This record gives sequence, C-alpha cells and structure tokens, in this order.
Amino acid sequence: MAKSPDTSRAFNDWQAMSQRYWDAWNDATRKAFDGAAAPAAGAASASWQQGLEQWSRLFGQQPAQNEVVERLLNGAKSYFALMQSFAAKSVGEAGKLDTQAWTDTLRESFNFPGADAALFDNPLARALREIAGQGAKGFEQMMESVAPFTQELRGMLGMPAFGYLREHQEHYQKLAQAMLDYQEQTNRYNALIARASHRGFELFEDKLAERGEPGRQVESVRALYDLWVDAAEEAYAEIALSPEFREVYGALVNAQMRVRQHVQQEVERVAIDLGMPTRTEIDSIGKRLHETRRELKRQAEAAPDLAAEVAALRAEVEKLKQASGASKKAPAKRASKSNKG
Amino acid sequence: MEPIRIDPARALDEALRAQQKLAASVRTLREVEDVDYGATSKEAIYSEDKVVVYRYKGKNKPTAKAPILICYALVNRPYMVDLQDDRSLVKNLLALGEDVYLIDWGYPDGADRWVTLDDYINGYLRRCVDAVAKHAGVKKINLLGICQGGAFSLCFAATHQDKLQNLITMVTPVDFHTPDNMLSHWTRGMDVDLFVDTLGNVPADLMNWCYLTLKPVRLNQQKYIAMLDILDNKAELENFLRMEKWIFDSPDQAGEAFREFIRDFYQGNKLIKGGLQIGGRDVSLKNITIPVLNIFAEQDHLVPPSASRPLGEHVGTKDYTQLAFKGGHIGIYVSGRAQREVPPAIHGWLAERTR
Repeated sequence: MAKSPDTSRAFNDWQAMSQRYWDAWNDATRKAFDGAAAPAAGAASASWQQGLEQWSRLFGQQPAQNEVVERLLNGAKSYFALMQSFAAKSVGEAGKLDTQAWTDTLRESFNFPGADAALFDNPLARALREIAGQGAKGFEQMMESVAPFTQELRGMLGMPAFGYLREHQEHYQKLAQAMLDYQEQTNRYNALIARASHRGFELFEDKLAERGEPGRQVESVRALYDLWVDAAEEAYAEIALSPEFREVYGALVNAQMRVRQHVQQEVERVAIDLGMPTRTEIDSIGKRLHETRRELKRQAEAAPDLAAEVAALRAEVEKLKQASGASKKAPAKRASKSNKG
Repeated sequence: MEPIRIDPARALDEALRAQQKLAASVRTLREVEDVDYGATSKEAIYSEDKVVVYRYKGKNKPTAKAPILICYALVNRPYMVDLQDDRSLVKNLLALGEDVYLIDWGYPDGADRWVTLDDYINGYLRRCVDAVAKHAGVKKINLLGICQGGAFSLCFAATHQDKLQNLITMVTPVDFHTPDNMLSHWTRGMDVDLFVDTLGNVPADLMNWCYLTLKPVRLNQQKYIAMLDILDNKAELENFLRMEKWIFDSPDQAGEAFREFIRDFYQGNKLIKGGLQIGGRDVSLKNITIPVLNIFAEQDHLVPPSASRPLGEHVGTKDYTQLAFKGGHIGIYVSGRAQREVPPAIHGWLAERTR
C-alpha cells in the first residue's frame, strides 16, 4: 500500500525521533557501564510516550486497525515505561537492588508522564479504565453531560416540593439522590480496586522472593512484567471473588441503572412535550407485536394438527353416513319381509 | 541471591527489539486488510427472523448417519467454529465424514427486545432441529451445544428428547454457583429486572466490558504487549486480528431472554437445583436419557471446569462421557491441540453410538 505524503513525513519524523532517543539512551547506558550516572528516567520516559503517540498517528487513516493500534498503544505505554524504569535502575544500581526496591521501581513505572495522576500506584484501575468500548464510555459520557446540573440538584435535595411543578421537583430530587448514590458506590468500587492493586504488589514481592534460587531468577524485563501480571491478576481475583466485591459490584450496577432510568424518564418527558414517541411507547408496541406473532406462529403450527383432525372427523362422519345408510336400507328389507309374512 | 538479574545490555536489547518491531508494524499493519473469517463453504437451509441455519459443504459427501447441528451461544458470533483454514472444528468434522449444520442467531435489535428463552429454545431451536432433520432426511439428529448454547441444548434435550439421537455439550455451564465462577459471582448482587427494564436489549459493548474485566491486565494489556512480538509477521498478525475481530464482534442481547437467563441460571442455578420452567414446561436434566458427551476446558476462565463437570451427576442417561481438554474457553476451538484432539473425539464417540 502506498503511503500518502503526510504519512511518509510522519513516519520519517517518528523514525528520526526514535533514533535520537535510542542513540541517547544507548550512550547513557554505555556511560553508566563506565561509571557515569544513569539517564534520568522522567525525561526519557516522556520521550517514550511522545514516540508511541507519534507511532500510533501513523495509522490515523486506517480505520480497520485503529482500535487495535489504540489498544496496543495503551498497553505499550505501561510496558515501555516499565522497561525504561528497570533498565535505568539495573544500569544505575548494577543489579544490586533488593526485592522491595524492585517493587518500588515497578510501582513508580506505572506513574509515567502523561498518565492520570488519580491512577498513580493503581495499575489495576488503569487497566480497567483503558478497556475501550461504547458500553463503558457511554455512561461516563452521560454522567459528564449531566455533571453541571449535579451541583444545582444537590441544593434541591432537601427542599420540600409543592405547587404545580411538584412532580418535576420530586423527580429531580430522585435523580440527584440516584447520582449521589452512584458516586458513593463508585467510590466503594474504586477502593476495592485500589486494595487489589496494593495486594498485587504484595503478591509480586512474594513471587519475587521465590525467584531468589539459582536458575529461577528473572532475567528480562518481559519476564518481570509477566510475573507482575500474574501477581496483579491473582490479587484481583482474590478481591473480585470476595463476598464484599459481589455486594459492591451489584450495588454499583444497580446505582448506575437507577441513574440511567431517571435520565430516561426525563428524556421521555421532553419527548412528550415535543410530540415525539417515547421508548416506553415503542416498547409497548413491540411487546404487543411480539405476542401477536407468537400467537400466529402457535396457530400456524397447530394448523397441520387441526387439518388432520378435521380429515379424521370427516372420515368418521363418512363412515357414520355409510353405516346410517346401510341401517336405513336394512329395516326396509325387514319390513318387506314382514309384509311378506 | 537477588531474584532479579537483568543485564543492562540485555534490557537494552529487549527495548531495541521492541522498537524494531514497532517500526516493522508500520508496514505490516498497513499491508493487512480487513481480516475475513470462515474457511468452509456453506449454504443456508432455513431462516426465520434473524436466525439462519447453515449446512457446511465438505470436500466429500458425509458418511455419518445423522447430522450434527451446532447450537452456539447468543453472546458471540458462531464463526469461531470455522475461523480459518487451519483452525476449524467444522472443517475437521467434515473431513471425518460428519454432516455439519450450524445455527447463526444473528444480531438482535429493538424488534427482538421481547424474545424470551421460550422463543429461543421451544421456538427457534426446535424449528431449526426440525429443519435439519427434514433437510437430512432423518427423524433424529445430533445436537452439539456450545457454552450458553450448551445450556440451551440441555434444556431442549430435557423437553424435546424425541428429536435427538445424541447430545454433545462443549464448555457448557451447568452448576452456576461454584466458588471460582467470577461472572456468576458478580451477577448475583445485580437487580436484573432493574437492569433489563432500564437497558432494554443489553448492549454488546457492555457485555465485552464485563468479560474484559474478568482479567483486566491480562486481557487488556498483557495481550497487546505480547502483540509486539508478532508485529513484523503478517500471517501471525492476521491471526491475531481475526481473533480480535471475533472477540469484539458481539451481538446485543435480547432483553427478556437475558433477564430470564441471569435470573434462572446465574442467580437461581435452577438447572441443577430444579424448578426451571421454560415456556410453561418443566425442565429437568433427569429427563435426558440419550447419550451425552460433555467436553470442557481445564483452563476456562469464563466457564470454569467446576461449572461443567457436574453434568454427569444430574442427567438421567446411563451413557455419559466426559472429556477434559487442556486449554481455555477459546483454545478448545482454535488451538493446534484442539484441531488434533476435539474433532476425532466427537467423531469417535458418535460413531460408537450410531452404528
């Protein structure tokens, strides 16, 4: 496939930037071997992120691969930051770090430049947030769009409703209450995820401790990353299978549904004002239509049986007719006999 | 001894390799067009609403006496059983002489909001079974249910056994309340009535999000980091993208059927606890007396083996066979081991029962 001039330029820029970065890092590594200081992790990893972003833009006009590129980019950012951080540490400390120090390095590597500060030290929460999909994004976007009203709604919560707008006011109060509840459940859920992240680092330390034996040592960044993933997933599973998580997860889902339902009701109210059909009405029509189709199917499937039954009845009637005809003839014969007699 | 011995030169080498792969991907990702799926030609033999039954065409005429109808889950697309030429359960079954049909449930939309489990099992599935029997010129067929489709097949066999010769279930949940079943664990605190009344049909993206959160780091990060390794290999990249396409090519779920499935199966565990009714019919696994082959995957994170294994204790048949496959929920169709082990196991088991 031929590259467009824009793409070629972007590709060349990206290559040049990568090359500069690698050259610089290579030099720094060599210097470190010679006893000089290791490269500053912060500045270097900022280049990492820029490089990856630029790389991902090379696929901007190829929708088929865009989603995969985005997912790869999200994963690679964390991994490259980890690689950078570990390589720098291993250069600087000549591999003489203890388990705790390595764990701290791992923890720091998730807090790379450009990452959401709210997710620092919480890679599980980041992994969850990075899951793309409109199903997940849709609700966040909905919450963002109604956020400006939330503050106003809070103020209305305790006010008594009266007058001809009483129903509207009560509805807004319920919506505000639902939003606050959703926020509370989200906080509880996030707290559990943070606990799982923390537990993940504990398990990582345990797993590292097991690798102290000869032949079991971790010798590559990828192996180290994979070990951390094992620990993180194990910790997440521990939390996610707990009774507490079940309760919080259910409460979060239910709270979200209540907010959605209140917003839908509000949208329906507006639709009615504008003379437009509502979802409730469409659902109602759909339900009736579905029931009618089921009944029609049932009747159509019963039809062959009905036809067979009618045919059997006809045959029976025919037999009866024949028998009746025969019996009519028989008395006549008897009568003639009696006449004779 | 320190647990980590990362040689700086090796770390640098790893990083350089990753960078080279990224550079190569600029070419390979551009060369890869929209990946296609489906290795085997097929013809539609029956359709109703969005449901289509296909018959696959092998190179040779089938030698099996009764056809196999594959009943897939509603939550993903069924082409996983015929993903590509070297990863196809269907192709391998055909090569062994089986006559293979498949139900494609389609993509439900607003018109399917009120479709119930009764509609799916006593309606669509029953008519699909009849259509296959008629097309093949037989009175009874073999039903192969996969995942949720396996649960449907169990319900169908329990209520319409006269239409079936043998039943095969693959990665099928039976006991929904085992302690390692994360999906079930999460659904049990949910108000499913509120959920369906609010959403109507359940969006596919929401379902996908739920599946990805079962293993958030492995499925959403580690997998794509592993993708770095194959960025310079077009064929492997195509395989990866094909699988990605399947994973995220998910239909929305018809609201009413979803409500019933969550309530009666995930929350109520009625398939084994009893009391399950579909369309006014009692569904008891004890009514299944035809031969049953139950295949499950030992590393399945969606349907843990503990959820599938108990089937033998609950069905009425005396002819029950169980096969534990070394692999995961998807690997059971697409891995190299699956191609070697699963189709011959199914074929051999059926052959012994249809002489």
